[in-house]
Amino acid sequence: MGENVVGRSVRRPDLIEKVTGAAEYCVDVTMPGMAHAKIVRSDRAHARITGIDVAAALESPGVVAVVTADDIAALYARFGHIISDHWILATGKVRYYGEPVAVVVAETVAAAADAVELVLVSYEDLPAVMDVDAALAGGAPLVHEQSYDATGDESFQNLSHLEDEADDTEAVLSNIAHEVNVGWGDVDAAFAEAAVVVENTVHFPMLYAYAMEPYNAVASYHEGALTVVSTAQHPYMVRDDLARVFSLPLSRVRVTSPYLGGGYGSKSYTKVEPLASVASWVTGRPVKLTLTVEEAIYTTRVDSARIWVKSGFAADGTILAREFDIVMDSGAYADNSPLVMAKSVNRCFGPYRVPHLRARGRSIYTNTSPASSYRGFGAPQGNLAGETNLDQAAERLGISGADIRRRNLVRKGEEILPGKRGIDADIPADLEMVVESLERDRKDVPYYGIGFGCSASDAGAYPISTAQVRVQIDGSVLVLSGSTEMGQGSRSLLAQVAAEELGVDLSVVTVVQSDTSVTPYERTTGASRTTTLVGLALQRACADARSRLRDMAAELFECSPGEVRDLPGAVAGPDGRELDFGAVVRQWFGGSAGEVTGVGLLRRDGATQKMPPFWEVGMVGVAVEIDPETGVVAVDQLVTVADVGFAINPRAVEGQDLGAATQGLGSALHEELVYDGAQLANANVVDYRVPRVKDLPRKIDLMIAERRDGVGPYGAKGAGEGTLNPIGGAVAAAVARAVGKWPDRLPLTPERVWRLMSSD
Amino acid sequence: MTLPPFALRRPVTLDEALRELTEDSVPYCGGTELLLAMRAGLHRPDALVDLKRIPELSGVRVEDGVLVIGATERHADLATHPVIQERLPVFARMERHIGNARVRSQGSIGGNLCFAEPKSDVATVLMALGASVTLAGPEGRRTASVEEFVVGPYYAEKEPDELLVDVRIPLRDGLRGAYVKFQTMERPTVGVAVLADDAAGWYRLGVGAVGEVPLAWSFGSLGEIDPDEVAAWIDPTPDLSGSEEYKRHVTAVYVRRALAKLEQVSA
Repeated sequence: MGENVVGRSVRRPDLIEKVTGAAEYCVDVTMPGMAHAKIVRSDRAHARITGIDVAAALESPGVVAVVTADDIAALYARFGHIISDHWILATGKVRYYGEPVAVVVAETVAAAADAVELVLVSYEDLPAVMDVDAALAGGAPLVHEQSYDATGDESFQNLSHLEDEADDTEAVLSNIAHEVNVGWGDVDAAFAEAAVVVENTVHFPMLYAYAMEPYNAVASYHEGALTVVSTAQHPYMVRDDLARVFSLPLSRVRVTSPYLGGGYGSKSYTKVEPLASVASWVTGRPVKLTLTVEEAIYTTRVDSARIWVKSGFAADGTILAREFDIVMDSGAYADNSPLVMAKSVNRCFGPYRVPHLRARGRSIYTNTSPASSYRGFGAPQGNLAGETNLDQAAERLGISGADIRRRNLVRKGEEILPGKRGIDADIPADLEMVVESLERDRKDVPYYGIGFGCSASDAGAYPISTAQVRVQIDGSVLVLSGSTEMGQGSRSLLAQVAAEELGVDLSVVTVVQSDTSVTPYERTTGASRTTTLVGLALQRACADARSRLRDMAAELFECSPGEVRDLPGAVAGPDGRELDFGAVVRQWFGGSAGEVTGVGLLRRDGATQKMPPFWEVGMVGVAVEIDPETGVVAVDQLVTVADVGFAINPRAVEGQDLGAATQGLGSALHEELVYDGAQLANANVVDYRVPRVKDLPRKIDLMIAERRDGVGPYGAKGAGEGTLNPIGGAVAAAVARAVGKWPDRLPLTPERVWRLMSSD
Repeated sequence: MTLPPFALRRPVTLDEALRELTEDSVPYCGGTELLLAMRAGLHRPDALVDLKRIPELSGVRVEDGVLVIGATERHADLATHPVIQERLPVFARMERHIGNARVRSQGSIGGNLCFAEPKSDVATVLMALGASVTLAGPEGRRTASVEEFVVGPYYAEKEPDELLVDVRIPLRDGLRGAYVKFQTMERPTVGVAVLADDAAGWYRLGVGAVGEVPLAWSFGSLGEIDPDEVAAWIDPTPDLSGSEEYKRHVTAVYVRRALAKLEQVSA
């Protein structure tokens, strides 16, 4: 459609500096007079704190202070954007092994680390609930003996598809952090009429969203203002939490996120920022806190899940009804798990026509590391259940996995959640692309299996986005956005959109991101939203800048603004006179100085009125070959379709899909956090096995479907999460077809596959 | 974790080095195991005695039919050493695939044996080869077989004031060898070495990484090696890479695979 800059695989501007190591990450940031913090952590799962003796630690060389809950009792010492239940420092009791109990602040990291050993915490052990069964048992000890008020995060209601929830009733205290119910129709009647009913239970593993950079932050509280540089995906959300902690106006809290070394959802919302901030508040000095990988794993992990699913089918494979019961182990604090659960319930039944549905999800407190967001937001968990159930039904019905999906997939425009946006994609066409690619390269060897799966996620999160463009006197352009560059490539993408809209060369556009006191508001960087929502806000900012430039040019041309025409990087007057943007600015201000700012605002309105802003389709297939003697699963083929409407940077889309698929293969085949008593047996990346280059599939086919059917710029929709969601189910189905038996849990480690093959 | 502070000593002779050694002043070469232990807070010596400048501890040579490898020789260098590639290709191939690129280019053969990481390839192959080590201490020198030296997980029979000087492997004309390992995590689940000197009727099998220490056995013929029987002899350590039952099973599989690979190796 005549675009010049978008739609091309431009080289990302951060490429060279990241490869050479010159790029600045949070860990590189220092502040004058900075001290260093190390955290004293709980060494038990659940215990009352009976005393903290800091005397020896304070005498240790170089120690500045030891901060405990008592020191911050005057503050609002909790955070949590949905349920404000997360104590900055354990108060009264510890709820999991690894929970922060005190912060040691010292002149050097080594001095702080030494003094951590000298802080003597006395405990009185309490019975612990280490898994969901223990937590749900009658008379189970409570992880939280109080209920907490919701923070009034309105968008949470809008992001979940909830039935009327009676929030006002006084709930009996339990270990259920959050419960979600979704449904319609008469499920029981439909099951009674079904020709075939298929029921199964799956277990999704406890994961760590491994990012190379662990959480870290440097904070300075000075004269009633707080400045924080951190590894936050959502600096504005962190700012809001910190402002509440210190009762500061939002304008007095500044949170900046430099490049992130990977996020994958694990860096969404507040993590170590309160610890560094209260340490600075107590000591009056800037404080830097950098976690190890082990500490990061004990800060945030991924919800594990047990999901029971039952589906009823007509004899031809048409879905009549589906029922799901999802139980997630959310750990000691809710963090974002309620939203993960709400999304899991929305996403578990898939992009199919389901006339009768009943889905229940419960997010459970246990005495384990707190769980929160993870790429895909509840979809990987729910999809594993929904898709393997569908494939088992196909087996029972004697039809293929492709045919049962062809029969039930929704067409473009159909709603899968009543009242929400209809599906903005041609999912059946995507399925055919995957099946064709897989079958084309199918190998005729023993222990070989093909699996594929679909998902559709209500993506984009809540549509509040702002962007600014600042046109300079030389015609170069600054783009300001509160969306965070965490490796996904938003910096080059936003530059492409601005260059396209203003008609300037990509090389003169610079993107500045994620500084709450400089860049305009962005709610979050997640749910694959940046391309669609920030892209729209940025288009509006560019249009606003152009409008202002036309007005200024009209004054210079002495004509009406309507007579000024837009040209690439320039304007033209009625007499044909042309002025480039720089000249307009210089001549209007009259002093070879000045700039023009365009502002773009996006809210739930117009094209982005209906929720979700777009559907993110996941469409993948795998082929596996199994070593029958060892149970090792080799991935022979990986096939993905990015249904993105329009790929603004095709290579970046492929990178997102390969990354998401590889991360999915990690949890399908290798990754699982394992609790051994109170603590994890593998809280490190030697024993927690993430994918390696040698694990890459032999054939990788990353396809892009461009049908310009998104609400975003040029018909674009987001990418980044979708491809992960159906990988687990696809791998499980492929393994089942290779060995003739259905697995019920991930990861499919060599021993699990060997046992599956050896079982009766 | 950051490395705790320590003094660094850099002797240039073996005698100087021996004088530096105490309980709290420990030998240091590649640091691939030691520095990790120190970073993890498991070990906090006052001083590290760097052995890399001591000529007596380096070099590869053949002496009276014995391959002598200096303790500070690094894995990457041994993998490509022409004498080893020619006289003991099975050892060179094992060295080429141990650990990862960083371990191979930093880690030394002596450090590997002294640390006695149970999930290692080196000791398994050396035990099968009937290798020994030379140790120097204040009382002079002594020799021990690798089996006598590597006696437990993370435990080598070495006094704190002793240094490992070299590794000695008896060479055999016409020796055939194969080493295969099953590895799905960062370290091997099981490694199997099979060696055959057909002219002498000398056959050896080594199995390592699966239990607390590698084990090696002699046989009168390859036919005497029964993979299932071998799987019963070992004492697997159950962990995240597999249960005891699974590790026994894959040990039998890999003994079979080692024997199959040996068949393809010509003398």
